[in-house]
Amino acid sequence: TEEIDLTIASSHPLVVPWVGMIKSVFMEEVDKKLAETGDYKINWNEAFGGQLYKANATLTSVEEGITDLGWVFSYLEGAKMPLSQVAGYTPFTTNDAPKLLDTMTELMETNEAFRNEWEQYNLVFLGATAADDYDLYTNFPINSLDDLKGRKISAPGILSSWLRGLDATAVDGALTTYYTDIQTGVSEGTLSIALGILPTKVYEVAPYITRVNAGVVFSGGLAINKDTWDSLPEEVQNAMIEAGLIYSKKHGVDLMERHEGALNKMVEIGKDQNPPVTITPLPQAERQKWVEGMPNIAADWAAEAEAKGIPARDFLKAYMEGLKERGETPQRDWTEGL
Amino acid sequence: MARLWGRIVDGLGALGSITIAGLMALIVADVIARNFFNVTIPVVAEIGALSVVMILFLQLATTVAHNRMARTEFFVHAIERRSPRAAGVIEGVYDLLGATACGLIAWSTVGVLAKDLKAHEFIGVLGVFTLPVWPFRILIIVGVTAATLHYLMRGIARILNLGPKAA
Amino acid sequence: MSPFEIGSAAILVLLVLIYIGVPIGVGMLIVSMVAVAEMRGFTVALRMIGAVANDSTREYLFAVVPLFVLMGLLVTISGVGRDTFDFFERLLRNVRAGLGIATVFANAVFASITGISIASASVFARVAVPEMIRHGYSPRFATGVVAGSSVLGMLIPPSLLMIIYAVLAEESVGRMFIAGILPGLVLSIAYAAMIYAMAHLRPNLVFRSGRDTRPGDLDGADPRLHVMRRGLPIVSLVVLVLGGLYTGWFNPTEAGAVGAFGALVIALLRRSMSGRDFWRVLVETGQVTVSVLFLVMAATFFSRMLALSGVPRTIADGLLSGGLGPYGFLIIYIALLVAMGCLIDSISIMLILLPIAIPVAEAAGFDMIWFGVITVVGVEIGLLTPPFGLSVYTIKAALDDPDLSIKDIFLGAGPFVLAMLVVLAILVAFPALSTYLAYL
Ligand code: NA
Ligand code: NA
Repeated sequence: TEEIDLTIASSHPLVVPWVGMIKSVFMEEVDKKLAETGDYKINWNEAFGGQLYKANATLTSVEEGITDLGWVFSYLEGAKMPLSQVAGYTPFTTNDAPKLLDTMTELMETNEAFRNEWEQYNLVFLGATAADDYDLYTNFPINSLDDLKGRKISAPGILSSWLRGLDATAVDGALTTYYTDIQTGVSEGTLSIALGILPTKVYEVAPYITRVNAGVVFSGGLAINKDTWDSLPEEVQNAMIEAGLIYSKKHGVDLMERHEGALNKMVEIGKDQNPPVTITPLPQAERQKWVEGMPNIAADWAAEAEAKGIPARDFLKAYMEGLKERGETPQRDWTEGL
Repeated sequence: MARLWGRIVDGLGALGSITIAGLMALIVADVIARNFFNVTIPVVAEIGALSVVMILFLQLATTVAHNRMARTEFFVHAIERRSPRAAGVIEGVYDLLGATACGLIAWSTVGVLAKDLKAHEFIGVLGVFTLPVWPFRILIIVGVTAATLHYLMRGIARILNLGPKAA
Repeated sequence: MSPFEIGSAAILVLLVLIYIGVPIGVGMLIVSMVAVAEMRGFTVALRMIGAVANDSTREYLFAVVPLFVLMGLLVTISGVGRDTFDFFERLLRNVRAGLGIATVFANAVFASITGISIASASVFARVAVPEMIRHGYSPRFATGVVAGSSVLGMLIPPSLLMIIYAVLAEESVGRMFIAGILPGLVLSIAYAAMIYAMAHLRPNLVFRSGRDTRPGDLDGADPRLHVMRRGLPIVSLVVLVLGGLYTGWFNPTEAGAVGAFGALVIALLRRSMSGRDFWRVLVETGQVTVSVLFLVMAATFFSRMLALSGVPRTIADGLLSGGLGPYGFLIIYIALLVAMGCLIDSISIMLILLPIAIPVAEAAGFDMIWFGVITVVGVEIGLLTPPFGLSVYTIKAALDDPDLSIKDIFLGAGPFVLAMLVVLAILVAFPALSTYLAYL
């Protein structure tokens, strides 16, 4: 048996579901497959949870071989990975994580520009990840969009664009600051994901959960440094490719279950607080009003990328098409007028 | 020559000082804008984050020059009491270590700059407000290069005994 | 050599380099560079040092470092620090060693507007030490009081160390802040009691002549008017910073900027600062900031190198499976904090130790808020212990008196180190002191 030393790392800790599944699914599957022949064995040096780099350097760290394998948070790499932002610029398109991940995985094979966007950084894409659905968590009840007028909502980065057309002020921040920001009144709520809100206990200060179902987004993926990849025997490469596909699939299903589980858990834990945690769905008509009131942020994004020579329009079309083929019906046709 | 260099180092330090004052003003303006006018200044957090790196490197050379880098001194002082010359050489060697560390940072940051330029790296949100990152990066490189040169010149001067407090 | 051996060797080499006086940040960078090159090749090491330099301090949170330093220096130059001290001096003028106790309580108040201890140390070195020496205190004791009470700056909120802990442990910053209030008060009271006891039982340690020459009335003005005039600036700053923080005008990072701005306004209103003074303050702020942030950056590289080597994980496994039990682990952890505190700065210790200790503490079922308070008090002991004690060096630099040796200040701080250890034991024994307010 030949032993291979590999470092595997992430900016986020193992308690984050898709990071935990790198260990519990991807690494397990690879080990299992390699054990079938017994020719190779991997000695994993685990450096999860920001031991090697922070969220601001997930791409370069795999690119430069600081780690061999790592979870790349492409969501934060707007400049270097513009096409990977597509889901962030097309809210209200899909609430189905497995279908989103399936579409992105297919595009990685069929769309050259998208594949190149990852491979140009000296890495090989192994599995896709997503963030769960975006909802509103506020310290005031929301019955209609009018209730959001003049409110300060924590929505950093691209999420600030989702609030455009609502007359709400987007406040900068991060998952770790929402609690204090809302508690102290810096903001009055946040547009965020259940899996982030549950561990940070934001529901304690923002007990009104409005299920907006604004959409799941592509967050990035597990990747391996290309130089490392080229040095691996074919059997190990194949094991990793198969394990990566299983990882994406299981992660998508897991994400949907956990999202519901997290929302239910918040209601249960928060039932005795005052006011108790409540979940109200945003009426379909209000959702439609929200998405139609937005400027066409997808078209603006595509135009800016095209100006840099990136075929974002074709990619946007292929993305929307891929989701429709899988039975999704976008709330708004973001390709309109392209 | 030494005076000109001293001015360059102080000038970079001054740029860092202005950055600190600017950072204070920017954050206070953002707090006021948010609380009184219900608007936020875009990318304050990201500019603030980059400013921290800028302040660190712009003022590195002047901090080195003023001997403000944290260290223990009892060992060198003990040597100095017996042989000031030997202490000078030791300090010179430490300076060369400092030059090596800063030089490696400068060198690798040039690589980071090349990537910034190639990818048009920016802060902010596309379609809302963006700022290019490369000007910040150049200031970082200039600052850490100045620190490298300062360490290098002082180290050589100390080892050659061109006055223990040279450069 | 295996990565584990390289990592272990790197720790030993670093200790030697620190001991022989290589600047600590430089030593960490060089050692880490060599170790990573040995493990993963020179190219990766070079890229890693570049990534560390450009990414590790690129954090909005770290903007608090220059801003809190700036506020501290502005408070000194505007005379607000002096006024706070005057206020307590008058209040306690009939108590033996009242000036020493006044220094402790003035520091506790000042701590509620500053987030870093070096600001407290530099302010009160200039304000309280000359006053105490003038009234017959021994220089050793006077500087010791200032060094000891400067640690309150990072225990009572706002606090840079609490922020760093909160980030590493994924706890709420606001909750960590509140957790520090009671322990800060307990430590202040312990200090005051100790000073009072020393003045009665061992006056020779406190006073040059062996007795207190108490300050009389300094001027004939109406004391009530006096208190108002002296107290107003500091009270407005405290109200501005704490009030703003807890009513939601701004977050902890922004508090530094608002506080610095408030101190600037006070200094301008009192006409106690020229443009040239302000510039000097900015330059000084920059140099203190750089020495702190350079350490943060270098320590980040060092801890990433250790992560590559696998040493922390092996040690954590060792501590957990060693059959020590939760309290055995806690005792070893505190001993490590104190031992490392002798050699390196508080932030580096937290960056190096916490990634190892947090998973162990969580596995042991500790309350992480309580664990954070223990951690902060533990690392702060290092501010006062030789050979590398940041508060002591700050006082030495601020006083700039050739007759006063570093050794004297360390000796003077000795009793306060003991008091901190006692308070640490109390905090370990009574977790509610740390958690009660935080979960209210
Ligand atoms: Na404080
Ligand atoms: Na120490």
